[in-house]
Amino acid sequence: MLQAIDLTKRYEDQELALDALNLEIKEGEIFFLLGANGAGKTTTINLFLNFIEPTGGKALINGIDVTKEPLESKKYVSYVSENVMLYGNFTARQNLDFFAKLGGKPNLSKEDYYMQMREVGLQEEAFEKKIKTFSKGMRQKVGLTIAIIKDAPNILLDEPTAGLDPKAAAELMQILVNLKRQGKSIFMCTHDIFRAKNIADRVGIMKEGRLVMVRTREEFLEDDLEKIYMNYMQEMVIEK
Amino acid sequence: MIWHIVKKDFLLNIFSARFIIGVLLCIILIPFTISVSIDEYKNQLRIYAVDKENSEKELKQIKVYSGLKPELIKYPEPLGILYKGINQNVGNKVKIYLQEYPLFPTGHASTRDNPLLNAFFSLDFITVLSLVLSLLALVFSYDLITREHEEGTLRLIFSNYTGRIPFLIGKITGVLLSLLPILFFCFLLSTLFIVLSPDIKLQISDWIRVAILFIFSILYILVFILMGTIISAFVKSSSTAIVLSMLCWIWFVFLWPVSGSYLSKSIVKTDLYDNVRNSLDDLDKEYGKLEGEQWGAIQKRLNMRGTNWWNASGGEDGYFETYGSPSETMEFHRQLNTWKEPIRLSYADRKWPVQKAYLDGLIRQQKMEKNLSWFSPSEILVQAVSCLCRSSEKDFLRYMDETRQYRETLVTYLKDRNLFEKYIYFTPQDPATFVSTADFIKGNNNVPDHFNTLDLKEVPTFIDIPAAIDTSLKDSFTGIAALILISIILFSGSIIVFNRYQLR
Repeated sequence: MLQAIDLTKRYEDQELALDALNLEIKEGEIFFLLGANGAGKTTTINLFLNFIEPTGGKALINGIDVTKEPLESKKYVSYVSENVMLYGNFTARQNLDFFAKLGGKPNLSKEDYYMQMREVGLQEEAFEKKIKTFSKGMRQKVGLTIAIIKDAPNILLDEPTAGLDPKAAAELMQILVNLKRQGKSIFMCTHDIFRAKNIADRVGIMKEGRLVMVRTREEFLEDDLEKIYMNYMQEMVIEK
Repeated sequence: MIWHIVKKDFLLNIFSARFIIGVLLCIILIPFTISVSIDEYKNQLRIYAVDKENSEKELKQIKVYSGLKPELIKYPEPLGILYKGINQNVGNKVKIYLQEYPLFPTGHASTRDNPLLNAFFSLDFITVLSLVLSLLALVFSYDLITREHEEGTLRLIFSNYTGRIPFLIGKITGVLLSLLPILFFCFLLSTLFIVLSPDIKLQISDWIRVAILFIFSILYILVFILMGTIISAFVKSSSTAIVLSMLCWIWFVFLWPVSGSYLSKSIVKTDLYDNVRNSLDDLDKEYGKLEGEQWGAIQKRLNMRGTNWWNASGGEDGYFETYGSPSETMEFHRQLNTWKEPIRLSYADRKWPVQKAYLDGLIRQQKMEKNLSWFSPSEILVQAVSCLCRSSEKDFLRYMDETRQYRETLVTYLKDRNLFEKYIYFTPQDPATFVSTADFIKGNNNVPDHFNTLDLKEVPTFIDIPAAIDTSLKDSFTGIAALILISIILFSGSIIVFNRYQLR
């Protein structure tokens, strides 16, 4: 479970990146956070991962305050970034092995890694190939495998479908649905309204650091999410 | 946790282009440097053998004690193959005179035979190692953090149960372990060259010193890795980090050592040796005047109208030898020596403070340079290594102290046996065969055909006692302590800077 209570971040240059965010993502829930560039989506993820310190409020992962117990909280969260680069001179399996060990899974065998890679749709011949030869989609799949192997109850994804071809993006979404079925809380920042409509249980729209709207699946399917989102974006353009 | 990061970095580094370039650099530089040093050492051995033979030959031909001026030939330091140090600038011979304390050696320095080549940069194993290893350490560590940041892996790592300090320790250890094979390879290569050279014989203690050198080198690499780490944690991009790292390398390895030397010369002024020599010459003149007066006084006391010599030879260094001269002359010289040798020794004692003041000035200048060198890890390494290779200024000063002590021992030997008052001090002729002046004028000087040379078995010999390992370690302790201290400071700095590192 992920919780943000009045979570605020103001940078040194006084820019308000996140303004009193209150949010709760339950077990087995997929939450999509939509918003323009600079709206505060990545800042939210950075705060949950304690990459930056909040200037107000708190972020909780499974009830653990990430600022007070940063290391402990990371036992319960996995992260997939927008552009998973990994170690180019390591094979996919070597990368998995390294991050699995960091994620607290030191005793996995080669077969375990192969099985997980098969599950995310990676081809057999790619397992022992160097990551530098991989396409972005393949790297994203390896990144997701890393998150899956960690087997944390919460998964944070930062625009994982950006730059992916539709097929790869669809495969990724299917994996997220499977993870949701396993009871994982999934928090994904994206611009991709189409994917949000497909799999999200709830959707939030962020604008200039504020969570301006949250809709459940039933609500956004009824109200036409695309229209709502575009309205918010247009307002922002007019304001500017 | 740390071990996984160490293993990952080690594997990534040893299969990287920079590792291969580092090994290639060592393959090219080390054999070249070591073979040149071995060649130079063999040359020194050859010169030592010739000088030693000449010195012993000269000593064996002495017939009078006034000619006893042993020439001490310094055995070339085998570890000089690894680091020449001060030995490349000082001579290998010290002649013992009564009228002056030895200050600096003369003769062949460990330089090239062709003096014109000395204008070029002189390289030895440790110099090459200090240049290459510091460069490689920075090349391996400048992007320690920035690369992970740029490739996005840093965020992925810290999304896991990984603390910043263990991560930093793992990364630093990984780079250190990646550089160890290169360092080991350099030492192995140089050791092979030394072992395969039949003329070079290193003692077990020398090999222990080589092993300690290896440990010092690890510490040295660590300092530069930490320097690269702090730079990498301080900036955001690898391109900025490499520029800063190279600037640091140039500053610490080239600019500061040279600047330190010039600064020490300008901060601590020393007298010109020519001025010192003039002061010593003034004392020599003063003594010469006294000797002239005494000369007349003894002649007067012995009612001599003049001095008649036969087969007399001598020099300004106090050597005087005659045979076949009349008994009156012999007595004159005996009385003169009885008076003058203690006076000459006392003048040596008067000259010594002048020499010592000059030497102290040089030492002060050297100490200033040493103090300034604390700002350069490569200079610190070189100083610590010079102690281990017995080519430090301390080893040199210790050796010169030993030569002065030997001079004292020799003087005591001559004094204890009252040799200044004896005829054998200046004539090999048996006093019973001395002729009167009248007979001498008639040409009846009764000179034997042959004189025996002196039996010098009882004359003290000089034994050079090179610094033992514990002394060398004690000498190099401050350098090593400084490298450890710098490492601690840099590591603490890295932690502070990296803890502030923004992962966004």
